[in-house]
Amino acid sequence: MTLRASPTGPKPAPSAAWSAGSVLSVLSIPLAIVALMVLGSIVSPSFLTVRNLVNVLNAYSAVGLAALGSTFVAICGGLADLSIPATVALGALVALGAGSLVGPVPAAFLGILVAALGGLVNGVLIGYVRINPIIVTLASGFLLLGLAQLLVGGGIVYAEPSAFGTFVAGNLFGLPVSVWIFFIVALILHITLTRTPFGRWNFAVGGNYEASAASAVPVRFTRASAFVLTGLLSGMCGILIALSIGQARPIIGAGYEFVAITAVVIGGTSLFGGRGSILRTVGGVIILALINNLIVLIGWPTPATGLATGSILLVVVAIDAYLRRRTGVLG
Amino acid sequence: MTIRRNILLGAALSALTFAVAGPVAAAGVEGKSICYITAANSHFYVTPANEGAQAAADAAGVKLTIVSEEFSPQTGADQLNSCVSRKVDGILLWPLDANSYLPGLLKAQQAGIPVVAIDTKAGEESMKLIASFVGADKYGQGQISAKQMNEALDGKGKVVIIAGQAGNNTTIMRTDGFLADKAEGIEVLATVNADFDQQKALVASRDLITKFGDQIDGVYAEDDAMAAGFLQALKESGLAIKPVILGIGGTKTAFDAINAGEMTSTILQPPYDNGRLAVETLAKVMGGETVAADVPLENTVVTKENIGGFKPVM
Amino acid sequence: MSANLRTIGNLVVRYRLLVMLAGVLIFGGFTQDDFLTLTTFQSVLDRAAVVGFLALGLTPILIAGQIDLSIGSVMSLAAYATIALQPSLGSLPAAFVGLGVGALAGAINAVIVVALKVTSLVATLATLLIGASLALLISDGQPVSSADPMFGLSLTNELLTVLSPRSALFIAAALIMFVWLRATPSGRNLYAVGSSMPAAISAGINVNGYMAGIFVLSGLCAGAAGVLQALSAATGSPLAGSALLIPAITAVVIGGTRLEGGRGSSLATLGGVIALGALTTLSEYNGIPSYTQAVYTGLILILLITLDRISGDNGGRKTRTLRRAAVKQVQQHGGTS
Repeated sequence: MTLRASPTGPKPAPSAAWSAGSVLSVLSIPLAIVALMVLGSIVSPSFLTVRNLVNVLNAYSAVGLAALGSTFVAICGGLADLSIPATVALGALVALGAGSLVGPVPAAFLGILVAALGGLVNGVLIGYVRINPIIVTLASGFLLLGLAQLLVGGGIVYAEPSAFGTFVAGNLFGLPVSVWIFFIVALILHITLTRTPFGRWNFAVGGNYEASAASAVPVRFTRASAFVLTGLLSGMCGILIALSIGQARPIIGAGYEFVAITAVVIGGTSLFGGRGSILRTVGGVIILALINNLIVLIGWPTPATGLATGSILLVVVAIDAYLRRRTGVLG
Repeated sequence: MTIRRNILLGAALSALTFAVAGPVAAAGVEGKSICYITAANSHFYVTPANEGAQAAADAAGVKLTIVSEEFSPQTGADQLNSCVSRKVDGILLWPLDANSYLPGLLKAQQAGIPVVAIDTKAGEESMKLIASFVGADKYGQGQISAKQMNEALDGKGKVVIIAGQAGNNTTIMRTDGFLADKAEGIEVLATVNADFDQQKALVASRDLITKFGDQIDGVYAEDDAMAAGFLQALKESGLAIKPVILGIGGTKTAFDAINAGEMTSTILQPPYDNGRLAVETLAKVMGGETVAADVPLENTVVTKENIGGFKPVM
Repeated sequence: MSANLRTIGNLVVRYRLLVMLAGVLIFGGFTQDDFLTLTTFQSVLDRAAVVGFLALGLTPILIAGQIDLSIGSVMSLAAYATIALQPSLGSLPAAFVGLGVGALAGAINAVIVVALKVTSLVATLATLLIGASLALLISDGQPVSSADPMFGLSLTNELLTVLSPRSALFIAAALIMFVWLRATPSGRNLYAVGSSMPAAISAGINVNGYMAGIFVLSGLCAGAAGVLQALSAATGSPLAGSALLIPAITAVVIGGTRLEGGRGSSLATLGGVIALGALTTLSEYNGIPSYTQAVYTGLILILLITLDRISGDNGGRKTRTLRRAAVKQVQQHGGTS
């Protein structure tokens, strides 16, 4: 699906580690974050406070989990997972709904399991039957969200007060538990991606599917796992939100698939696979959170958030495309 | 002889007419069909309304077909056209914006199908084609909230508005009503859209508190879920202010908050009764009765003082 | 045994639309007395027109191996412009401006994809976000009522028993596109571009020109959808197209156009739009809730694409022939690949 233009001239020598393009590419995210923070401190005196910065992290820590999963999906060449809103909702509804039957902690695990099963449906169809991920996740998202609404029948599922719920919704050493969970999961996934065979498989599958298959890389399993992982993480996302606000409704995850994809892309990971990193996505999530925060602090109407996000997204990918053309790396 | 025959004929005819008319009048609307174009199939507020409508339809012996706009007035306008071409006997419409339904309503009028609006009023032009409106006035809810705020703040103070989804009719009505009737001394610091979602309201409220801090004297949340979001953010922040918090909806969380003194008031909108009353009104219109153009559902304000007499609606 | 299943699978996939329509008609005939009527057919076609235009614009895009996620937002912008400008420009000029808005948005997408070389998935995601926000910001979140409601009212009236002006426009557009894609060199070139870009380039096809063109076309179709919808409802809503991206993609996929490119047809899209519309109308007649509809629509999609995959590509004979012809043409002209 990429617009791959054939080279028009001799390729420049492979870029050394410190060429301008790659340096800019590595620094672009921290630079963007710093720029946004400078803007924020100009706009509002209360921006650079611990409280506000903690809020910024907290606001996107749950949906950030879905973005982390989407990173694996992108790196292995799975494009995107459009069923995230459905798996978020399933995780949340099951975790709260089953709370009174099996207890809050088992119910949370059950919620994660159900959401992971949703991801499994995607994984099998995309990894093993090799159907286009956009269509599969679109269809499964429909299906699963419809099921979720059928289950709930139009009501709101309230959380039973519990020690577990209070813990998850509260703070630990000054930071909200959701933020801890986001960073710990990000760390685990980063290590997985960079230091384990499974991580290398993802890069291989995304970089060159046929070659990987020929080299005995379990290509189908790898791609399928990325979607199972995303389902699982989306379920966690739903549970975190539901426990935080004390209730769950099927629309709880609405729009999260776009947030996840945007975070991944702004972070610099290509949706077509072969390269990327968890750290970049963490950067992307932080950038999105900062934009959201700034819009309110500046006082712009809420729809301006989409305008800002879309524009920044465009600028980031356009610059990225330009740099990659210049350094001879195409696509 | 002719006269006697005529009298006999007349008597026979009359008897026949009464014999036929009797059962017809008793049947009324039984067996007729109503097309109910509702806002959603699965929603905490709309679903009870649908259930109320179904119950009333069953009681009247009317066949009710429910189709859902899923919050898109464009879909609803199309569904209205479909219902009209199906030649149903009555249409119950949940207008999601002012005038998208106008063409369909014109067609309904031409086809002689009566239409009743539920929950939200359509625009002026459209309402002329509608037999009756059954619901709580959303614009009125905004006005009532303004009055609450005026009283609570003594006509002076700074407020933030946590509004629903941008472009949504309920949002527009509730916001406009509030802005129209709020006192001059009340300044709106900011308006944010939180899509009637507690999580979004929570995130936005944190930022509002960061920006305005103790300047916030009052909060007008256009529904109870968003009011809950603000309350949560307020507790998190530890800020020692007690702003006036208004909500709309009459949910359980709002009742708890009012009882605890954290929230000032909410407005009851009983969805089940809304649905039931709407179908009953439509049945009356279908049966040939004249009904009032407005069958209002009272916007009941629930505060700490009178909360004892009410129960949460959801 | 498996050979028989395969054959059945092949048949279902190739004649998917007929199978689906047959299923809907049979089920409809049994459950409702008024489903199998001309009035219903007219209603289905009429309702299909708006999403149909979106799906039509999407078809060349998918054939070329790209995607356009921004069609919903573009439709909203066009819808709003059409009505908001009526008082100052007059109803007909305002409608043309609406079309222009669509084409302009398409041109912007074209520049980003072709000139800036950003992949269409990400580029149109960005324009989706920007367009949707612009629509809400320009309109201040309020839909605008038409100053001239009578102008577009007749768009949904009955025309020749089974049509309406807007469904007639849609079907005409589908036929024109069909002729373009099948019978003109530029249409055939599009299949070549979607099947194998290097081959197309080597054959001297102006790939960039085609790419730009289809995005403008998609924007224009989205604009048409917006104009039609706004005039039919006499309202310009900033949210007019927000819910239609997914039904449009669904209709195109049901019709058989693949997301990988190189295959597809506007008649297939036409069929997909009608099939989806018939299914939705039938479901509404039976009062089936939307979430249940979502469940079986999702299942049908998954079933169709799985069968498509498993039955091994035996559908779409015509387009495969075209594709072979296009590649052959390339080889004959001495392509280097």
